[in-house]
Amino acid sequence: MKKISLYITLTIGALISLFPFYWAFIGATNESGKLFSKQLSFVPGTKLIENVTNLDESIGIGRVLFNSLFVSLTYTIFSLLICTMAAYAFAKFEFKGRDTIFAIFLLSMMIPYHATVIPLFKMMATFGWLNTYKALILPNLAYPFAIFLMRQNMLAFPNALIEAARIDGAGEWRIFFRIVLPSMKPALAATAIFLFMYQWNSFLWPLIAVSSTDMYTFPVALSSLFGLSRIDYGQVMAGVTLATVPIIVFFLSLQRHFISGMLGSAVK
Amino acid sequence: MFKRYWKWLVLIVASAVMLAACSGKQSSTDDKGEGSSEKIVLTAWAWNVNVGALNEAMKEFQKSNPNIELKVEDIGRLDVYDKLSTGLAAGGTGLPDIVLVEDDRIHGYVNAFPKGFVNLSEKGFDQYKDVFPTFKKDLTSVDGKFYAMPFDAGPTGMFYRTDLFEKAGVKAEDIETWDDFLAAAKKIKEATGAFAMPLDKFKDDPIFRMMLNQRGIYYFDQDGKIDLTNPKAVEAMEMLKKFDDAGLIKDVDGWNGVVSATVDGSVATVPFGAWYYGTIVDQAKDTNGKWGVFLLPAFEKGGNRAANLGGSSWMIPASSKHIDEAYKFLEFFSTTKDIQLMAMEKYGLFPSLASAYDSELFTSGVQFFGGQKIWELFANEMKDIPTAYYTNDYAVALDEAIKAQADVFNGKDPKKALEEAAKRLKDRTKREMNTY
Repeated sequence: MKKISLYITLTIGALISLFPFYWAFIGATNESGKLFSKQLSFVPGTKLIENVTNLDESIGIGRVLFNSLFVSLTYTIFSLLICTMAAYAFAKFEFKGRDTIFAIFLLSMMIPYHATVIPLFKMMATFGWLNTYKALILPNLAYPFAIFLMRQNMLAFPNALIEAARIDGAGEWRIFFRIVLPSMKPALAATAIFLFMYQWNSFLWPLIAVSSTDMYTFPVALSSLFGLSRIDYGQVMAGVTLATVPIIVFFLSLQRHFISGMLGSAVK
Repeated sequence: MFKRYWKWLVLIVASAVMLAACSGKQSSTDDKGEGSSEKIVLTAWAWNVNVGALNEAMKEFQKSNPNIELKVEDIGRLDVYDKLSTGLAAGGTGLPDIVLVEDDRIHGYVNAFPKGFVNLSEKGFDQYKDVFPTFKKDLTSVDGKFYAMPFDAGPTGMFYRTDLFEKAGVKAEDIETWDDFLAAAKKIKEATGAFAMPLDKFKDDPIFRMMLNQRGIYYFDQDGKIDLTNPKAVEAMEMLKKFDDAGLIKDVDGWNGVVSATVDGSVATVPFGAWYYGTIVDQAKDTNGKWGVFLLPAFEKGGNRAANLGGSSWMIPASSKHIDEAYKFLEFFSTTKDIQLMAMEKYGLFPSLASAYDSELFTSGVQFFGGQKIWELFANEMKDIPTAYYTNDYAVALDEAIKAQADVFNGKDPKKALEEAAKRLKDRTKREMNTY
């Protein structure tokens, strides 16, 4: 009995969470004005292909999708590497000022992003990196929250194992890649999802750092559909629906690790 | 020992090479564009339908200037300002040769970055002083110098549903004053259940701004003093309250809410700029032929019924390397009748170039609006539109005015609400305040 009510509650929760996605999909399959009219039904319409074709004409889906995927994936790989290495150092090495440096890292999370945009922009301009992938990928590679997340996970890693490996003659790199990282898979998956979503959804910086249409990321391209008065909501909704697909795929492919990661940190 | 990590190394090196290759390609094409002296590529930032208009105008321009090319970046309207402000704050880095800016922001930008934009009067734009309506000239110039080339405008009107008016036995031509409209709106609500106007009551105040503009006042007066306590402003706010007290204002959520109310027929009129035509024909296709337009009602019989809402103009950032070419192209764009007509016909961008109004496009009826000559109505309105004084504190003033409006709808006395807003605005901007 208890179980049934639990399932009912969960089902209602799931429906509420899924509704916006379904609504976006309905919007993507209908003509622009339909979304506002009283006759809008909850059965998908017939204009999906038309909306996607129009969207492709407006923003060039292939190109912006490639930009977003390339930037997000490259960023995730590099940032994960850098952040886990930093986290390992903060968690397992003793050196002077370690905790102070870590505290500074954490404090830097409190600086509002908008305050750093102009100096960062100037810096990128000096390097001649504006309008390049470098400007999109490099500035946030060392991401404090990811370092924090990985460090907390690594703290729990037994020192005895590391010491045993050292006695057996393993170098530091080998210990890191062969012994520590493999046991960190759940945390790595969780951090990877986090980093991927962060970069995929990132809007303000790509908007400012990039200035030609062929370098746009998906969110920036979607935003360009909004003028003063003539907005094609069919295109917008088709774009929104498309934009969520990669995140879902990425999440599902790492989901197994992610959930065990959450359980893992809860038990610890 | 390194054998063990070769996988990682290869991955890192491969990605690094990929990264370098991609960005390298990008910069080399850039160099080519600037390196060859024969072709000049102008860049422009604009949004939405303006992009198409600009590209088409360039095709015409190239007939006599084959060495100039144009690359327009399609950027969201509000996103343009984020990019523009960042670039200006960074000393003019990464800015285009041409940028589209809405009229209510021009003075703010010029005041905040006096050296950021090209003074067009120095380039000779003063010769076109008389081809644009007065209010547009005032909006695009600061201290008598042009900093922007006038493009589209938003002469206001009441977009109304002819079928609802008919059902209630109300005639649009009989509505001359806001009081007339109030009485008519009550009749319409009774007969059809439709509200008079949509308004995001607590977040935006377009109707209030139109009323101020039509009466020749605004948040600020000509000298930049706070003018919210002007008796005319109080009257306007009182009028809005009368509509709300009678249950005639439909409270909607933002822009999408206004569109929604327009499409589903829950409001009988939508007071907006001429550009709202595009939204109606795009979104409310099922209501073809059921629309009409009449001018804003006046506050007293025979009073002014002309106002403006929205509109934008072209600016040239001073950091541009091709100022002369950009000027030449924009001059062609802004002062050539056929270009303005093309932008109007294809993209619904209402020109402020007065010479365009006598063409056939403006004197013929519009089928979606039951054959009414709506463009003629808007064109005739242009010369009577008073200037609105935005200043560089417009955003703060807008914020305070919206708060005052919210207070009024929550039951506060309009005069008191506006006085309080004016005082807050004074504290925030350190500007003087008019007393009445």
